[in-house]
Amino acid sequence: MAYIRKRNKRIFLIFLLPAMLVLFLTTIYPMLYAGYLSFRSYDLAKLFVPRVFVGWSNYGEILGSSEFLHALVTTFKLMAMTLSVQLVLGVGIALIVTQKLPGMPLARTLLMIPMMISPVIVGLVWLFLYFPELGYLNYFLSFLGFDSIPWITSTDWALWAIAIADIWQWTPFVMMGTAAALQSLSPEPYEAAMIDGNSRWDVFTRVTLPQLKPVLVSLMFLRAIDAFKIYDIIFVLTKGGPGDSTEVLSMFIYRQSFTFWRMGVGAAASFVSLVIIVVLITLFFKSLNRDQVS
Amino acid sequence: MSAITLKNVIKKYGAVQVVHGVDLDIDEGEFVVLLGPSGCGKTTTLRMVAGLEDVSGGELSIGGQVVNNVAPKDRGVAMVFQNYALYPHMTVKKNMEFALRPLKLDKAEVDKRINDTAAILGLGELLERRPVQLSGGQRQRVAMGRAMVRTPDVFLFDEPLSNLDAKLRTQVRWEIGKLHQRLGTTVLYVTHDQVEAMTLADKVVIMRDGYVEQVGTPEEVYTAPQSTFVATFIGSPSMNMIEAKVVAERLEANGFSMPLPDRFQGKVTEGQAVTIGVRPIEIKRVAASSTGAMQANVEVTEYLGNEALLDLRVGPHELVAEVPADQRVEPGKVIHIALNEGAIHLFDTVSGRTLSE
Repeated sequence: MAYIRKRNKRIFLIFLLPAMLVLFLTTIYPMLYAGYLSFRSYDLAKLFVPRVFVGWSNYGEILGSSEFLHALVTTFKLMAMTLSVQLVLGVGIALIVTQKLPGMPLARTLLMIPMMISPVIVGLVWLFLYFPELGYLNYFLSFLGFDSIPWITSTDWALWAIAIADIWQWTPFVMMGTAAALQSLSPEPYEAAMIDGNSRWDVFTRVTLPQLKPVLVSLMFLRAIDAFKIYDIIFVLTKGGPGDSTEVLSMFIYRQSFTFWRMGVGAAASFVSLVIIVVLITLFFKSLNRDQVS
Repeated sequence: MSAITLKNVIKKYGAVQVVHGVDLDIDEGEFVVLLGPSGCGKTTTLRMVAGLEDVSGGELSIGGQVVNNVAPKDRGVAMVFQNYALYPHMTVKKNMEFALRPLKLDKAEVDKRINDTAAILGLGELLERRPVQLSGGQRQRVAMGRAMVRTPDVFLFDEPLSNLDAKLRTQVRWEIGKLHQRLGTTVLYVTHDQVEAMTLADKVVIMRDGYVEQVGTPEEVYTAPQSTFVATFIGSPSMNMIEAKVVAERLEANGFSMPLPDRFQGKVTEGQAVTIGVRPIEIKRVAASSTGAMQANVEVTEYLGNEALLDLRVGPHELVAEVPADQRVEPGKVIHIALNEGAIHLFDTVSGRTLSE
């Protein structure tokens, strides 16, 4: 037994090796290298200038810059807009598609499609819809007698345009998680409530929602972590514009690194964003543990 | 008024009919048990009374009012479910409060009812606990408490004891009986356990395959079963059944013969195929020389403490006899037995109905 166990230990290392190699090359090494860069002055335009150690000055620069703070605020704004709508819509749709009605299994499947599309494609699809003169949305609005809306060309609308595309893509995720949780609830308490005569609203707010809470909290944390990294849709739709109205953290990092070629500053900004995500993830696991304890 | 009447009540799921015209009268304050094996339609019948299933045909009334199309909440019933159906995230007290919410009582009345019920059921110390912190028996009591606080006209129980262990089952069964004596509310109770039915019921309704086989007091269904199904379903161990023929005023079976008891004279015809039913306790050991003695091989002996069960073979027939423990015999021995003629039942083999009436 001992022999087999020892041998198995070595075998499992061999099986793990390819995955660990990929993880190291694509995640751990770049992360360490970014950490290294964030303390250096590194201009991609001046390839042969030595990368001098500059201490915390890159961090000092971004934390003191209004652009970075603006990007951070925009990120949280977008997060609040998308998460709140996704929560309400996701739960609402989940309640409908879990009813025992004809066509619901098909509806469930169809509703999942947006989630499976690459975000770049989602961005392109919505670009067609939002297009100022030729877009379908404005065509329908004019058809109905409304003024056209400058979806992605006005600072008032651009963030909403991105939020709508993100909501369209990720509401199914919330719906799926909620529907799975709904279907795992025991039906008997609902029959008891039916006999006792509790109103539908009471049953929803006092029986269903409290039981869904742990799942909803998890779903919202997962969405928050994702929303923090949103990039593709914005890149395709607005590239952070008009002005800086849709410049979220990831766009800020991209611009610093690959437009201004200031790799050190970009790396420092991505480390700050990493810290925020780690805090979110820690809170997420804490909330999971709390649910398990209670 | 809380009498329940079912007139030719039918339940169909699509083309499949699961309850075939049940007729039943339940008087106010009566404890009625629906008894039968799995799939006999007893739970479906209960759920129709509760309003959780639509009635496909016939008429269902509670308190003299037809309730076929009345919402469950307006039927004045409260139900205790097999899996308790407690709200898992609420404390015991909140569970009861939630059941009272639709009644829109003032806070003092709500507290009074909960405290009174908790006192009756001994839930006082559990009020702030959640279901997950309770044992099975305690959960069952909470489920009953939640039904009781509403002071319904009718209690419906759906196999309430089937998730409890044997010892607890006896105790909770006893509590339910006591509770009924105290509250005097009409009870409709579903179970597949004949002991529950016999001990609790004023009236037992035995169902099979969606039909009512017999309605009667526990004593009636035990002493005067109307069909072979009821005869074998009630009583433990089961009644012995011997297929025989009426030949010249005798009951003749392969390797077995006895005179036709006088009370069946005129109720059977010559050559009729009949089934003799005899409870294990009505088979006695007798001396080989006594009249009507039959030779039997003892195949298995089961010692139960006070009494013993003997698995016997008489010709091709297998019989079970229940004898005092000191009269038990080793397997492999040959003994002589006689049936207590005054206690045998006779059924028509073809229809399965009794010939005793």
